[in-house]
Amino acid sequence: MARLIRTEKEVEGRYEEVWLVVEEDALDQWPAGPREIVGRPATRVDGFERARGEAAYTADLQLNGMLHTAVLRSPHAHARVRRVDLSPALSHPGVHAAIGPGDIAQLTDECGYQGAAVAAVCADTYAHARAALHAVVVEWDVLEPLLDPDEAVRRKEFVAPPRSRERGDVDRGLEEADVVVSGEFRTGTVLHNSMETHQSVVQWTSDGVEVHISTQYIWGIRDEVASELGLPPDKVRVVCHYMGGGFGAKNDAGDYTFIAAELAKRTGRPVRCALTRREENVAAGNRNATIQRLTIGATSDGKLTALGAEYVNAVGWDGWLAPTDGPLHMLYACPNVRSTLYGARLNTPPMKAFRAPGFVEGTFGLETLLDELAAKLDLDPLELRRINHTDHDALDDRPYSGKNLLACYERAEPHWARRHEVRARSTDTVKRGVGMASQIWYGGGGPPSYAWVRVGSDARATVVTAMQDIGTGTKTAMAQIAAEELGIPLEHVTVALGDSARGPYAAISAGSSTTPSMGPAVRAAAADARRQIEEIAEQRGTPGAPVAEVVALLEDAQILGKGARGPNPTGMQVLTFGVHVAEVAVDVETGEVWVERVAAVHDVGRVINPLGASSQIEGGVIQGIGHTLSEERLVDPRTGAILTTTLDAYRVPTIADMPEIVTELVDIPDEHLTNLGSKGLGEPPIVPIAAAIANAIRDATGADVRQLPISREELLRALREAAERERRGAAATV
Amino acid sequence: MELLRPSSASELPGAGNGLLLAGGTEVVPLLRSGLVRADTLVDVRAVVPRGIDGARIGGGTTLAELEHAAEIPDALREACRLAASPQLRNAGTLAGNLLQSTRCWYWRLKWPCRLHGGDECFAHGGEHREHAIFANDFCASAHPSDVAAALLALDATVETSARTLPLAELYRLPDGGDRRTTTLEDGELIMHVDVPPAERSVYLKAMDRKRWAFPLVGVAAARVDGTTRVALAGVAPVPWLLTGDLDAATPLPDNRFKVDIARALVRRATAALD
Amino acid sequence: MPDLDVNGHRYEVDAPVGTTLAEALRDELRLTGTKVACAEGHCGACTVLVDGAPTLSCITLLHAVDDARVTTIEGLRDHPMVASFVRADALQCGFCTPGQIVSAVALVEAHPEPTGDEIRHAMAGNLCRCGAYPKIEEAIRTWRD
Repeated sequence: MARLIRTEKEVEGRYEEVWLVVEEDALDQWPAGPREIVGRPATRVDGFERARGEAAYTADLQLNGMLHTAVLRSPHAHARVRRVDLSPALSHPGVHAAIGPGDIAQLTDECGYQGAAVAAVCADTYAHARAALHAVVVEWDVLEPLLDPDEAVRRKEFVAPPRSRERGDVDRGLEEADVVVSGEFRTGTVLHNSMETHQSVVQWTSDGVEVHISTQYIWGIRDEVASELGLPPDKVRVVCHYMGGGFGAKNDAGDYTFIAAELAKRTGRPVRCALTRREENVAAGNRNATIQRLTIGATSDGKLTALGAEYVNAVGWDGWLAPTDGPLHMLYACPNVRSTLYGARLNTPPMKAFRAPGFVEGTFGLETLLDELAAKLDLDPLELRRINHTDHDALDDRPYSGKNLLACYERAEPHWARRHEVRARSTDTVKRGVGMASQIWYGGGGPPSYAWVRVGSDARATVVTAMQDIGTGTKTAMAQIAAEELGIPLEHVTVALGDSARGPYAAISAGSSTTPSMGPAVRAAAADARRQIEEIAEQRGTPGAPVAEVVALLEDAQILGKGARGPNPTGMQVLTFGVHVAEVAVDVETGEVWVERVAAVHDVGRVINPLGASSQIEGGVIQGIGHTLSEERLVDPRTGAILTTTLDAYRVPTIADMPEIVTELVDIPDEHLTNLGSKGLGEPPIVPIAAAIANAIRDATGADVRQLPISREELLRALREAAERERRGAAATV
Repeated sequence: MELLRPSSASELPGAGNGLLLAGGTEVVPLLRSGLVRADTLVDVRAVVPRGIDGARIGGGTTLAELEHAAEIPDALREACRLAASPQLRNAGTLAGNLLQSTRCWYWRLKWPCRLHGGDECFAHGGEHREHAIFANDFCASAHPSDVAAALLALDATVETSARTLPLAELYRLPDGGDRRTTTLEDGELIMHVDVPPAERSVYLKAMDRKRWAFPLVGVAAARVDGTTRVALAGVAPVPWLLTGDLDAATPLPDNRFKVDIARALVRRATAALD
Repeated sequence: MPDLDVNGHRYEVDAPVGTTLAEALRDELRLTGTKVACAEGHCGACTVLVDGAPTLSCITLLHAVDDARVTTIEGLRDHPMVASFVRADALQCGFCTPGQIVSAVALVEAHPEPTGDEIRHAMAGNLCRCGAYPKIEEAIRTWRD
């Protein structure tokens, strides 16, 4: 039964109040523990398609008469186009059309960052388009770029008003403290570099427009394109069956979709606009750099009395304020917390959401400084976290829907206990140590999301919904949920997704929200189908008969079930929790760090697919090792030009860089959350790894690293500083 | 564009009449990114010898073949093993590796720097953590070849289609009159490299991830005829024979850490020779 | 005109000099299992076998391989390595996976029981941004199971 309700919708910590139509969520959760199918390892239902190269990604799409686009993007960090002449490009072989500033909103002559799109040419092949693009005449007025985040704050160049939050009285809290530690932490700019670059293929039909796009949000693209092109949303069909990674960068339509749409309109042909890898490294978004100035005060028993911070997010030309301040306010019990968050507007490419935006950066600063506090207090770091555990959300003063962080700490104990043995394996030049860090993040999902389930006389079911599987394996989880609810084998369930014309609204695959948003809708739809089958069984006088027996009667008739995601529990904070324990080895002469082992313990409610879940955790840990040790986007300090534009210069981890990873899931259903009790797992595993590694480095060497990535030079600097501290300390005792 | 595939030296087009390539791992990316232009490509794989014959290694031998060759000196084998990626080693040749260009981002992004014929080195005053700590005044680019450092320490000799010369003479520092970093003439091919037997040799490499990265600092040490030679990769515009000590290094403000790394690796490498 | 042997079939490819093997496979022969992710030889997604050796098709000239045997993921669809990858969950978004499998197949042809170190060394040229590495190693270790 449908209701219209006013509810809170959250994506990545941004809340908005919305009116939504929801079905009543009348199903009881399954009891805890593995079921027949849910809670048991399942290989990917589309594993063979992907592994064999049969899966058609947007990059593989070849439509009849399709044209290819080359985009002129500003090579300058800050420039005005004085003059642009497209006509030389138009006379190049193979060229069909060219557009420039003003033809669409996404092409500009006021370029605030390197990579801003100015003009585009489409041609029979990409090579033709690129050759023609070189013929375009452009004259630039190159302007002074603003590159320094602190300078932007001084000049009040902000992308959004600064955000200040305070509870209690931090100044008094610092007075009450027995120990105060402070530090400045910096994190570098990190690039998503999904293996499939951003791209769209757009085709106009007599009935509207078709957009094939590598995306995390089919329905969002539909609405964005409809709005921008002035079309009714149902005239926009968005298709994405397989996509090659997003990590947050593919939540919107970008400039390339509208460039392709305009060129497709002008030429009457399907048009592909795809970013090259170099364009990915420049203009496809990033996790912004941060500067964090933190202060922590505590009494000698380890209880936090004050948490204070100033954060500067180097957002770029535009974007939004990633919640770097989140962990500070949310992770621990502390009566006095104050922060100011600045979003510096700079002449650098705009940030985009990147796997737990803000929380990765903020957790690094907070959890690393907390270990410095632990050292000063002579307290075990894990014990310090327990002492400050809160069983009630302090930020918004509400109960949690479910929190098992203490259980995570308990599961981390055996891994934490290894630290004595690990340290003992140190040599003169290679020091070993162990560090830990807590994790907090969102992951509750929310309405709306819908699914249909179709069951035929062969007792096989198809789940239909216009969702996307960005590589997380959510397609498989949906199949498991439907199979479990219907009581049929997993192999008898097909999931049809990826097309806004062929299925109802589905949630974005961001903010760790796919499983907790789609899962309950799929279960509700399967339950609806099951109830109808049970009614038929009753009518026949065979109540409780197996599904296969009942539906065998159907012939061409089908059972159609529909389900919707109900509302989130009101007045409760829905979050995920975890802890990482990292073991590192440090070559103290060369500054090399290698991560030898990571234990990652996560509380995400009920786990649908433990196999897929362990893969998500491993993937998040490895991606996190990248931003911790080897990845950094570098920019020329004078011109703002991006220098790391290729995958040999921007170094993501290889298989040789991976540690041993032990994954553990607490797997306790969140009893207040939907008919599943499941939360998302896409982001939690990347949140605490940097701090765990930094803390392990301190454990191994006494060095305080304050910067990501922990490059050779940063580690050698921290080692020198530690040695100097020790010398002064030793001298003082003489 | 045309591709010529001569089956012998006599079929080679004259000097200056084509861009020579073997595995193509250097030339093809440079062509496609517009860093070099050519109307004629000349595939020299049938012309340049390939294979190991005692101390003589054909210039067309791939790094993968050398990685698995037990009979070559340890430093050379290790330099090949740690170079590039497996796929690149399958195609990349010994000669090609010696002649590869710098990874300097300013050069690779076609800034009008000294190596491109301009009059400024943008690494100075720019981002230079990966750049040279020796001979870096005119041009601060770093030579990325692990193999060249190993062969330099091993006192190897190069035999080209025109002459025979010590490996060190294959390279030159760029200067105001000539921006080239090699002394090869147009059309001159590296045919063989002769590697004298070493009593012991070792190669140590510091890089920013465990595999598939260019040397921050690579140190090759070899004892040949009782003499110890140490050569470095990633520290100068050319492979660098260390004749004095590292105090003579002239690091830039943000790459001093390379001196620290080099110190440690030189100490370890020379100790490993004992 | 180059005469390509791909997965045991002969194809004539009419494409200009400078065309890469990846472009020929994907655009001319419509064999899109081989992916291009960087087009500069840095990521390994485009890996195919040329005479059995893992090769970056995005920087290999078509005209330089017209006397070689090329094997793509399409030619390996029934190799036990494919099932091993699926069983081990050694893929996530799947875009790098064909290249991973091609490199893995070449490894086990030469070393049917590779050690962990050998696997990590041989697979280091195949980047995976999703981080499926632990299970890729497991898939290769257990490919004969």
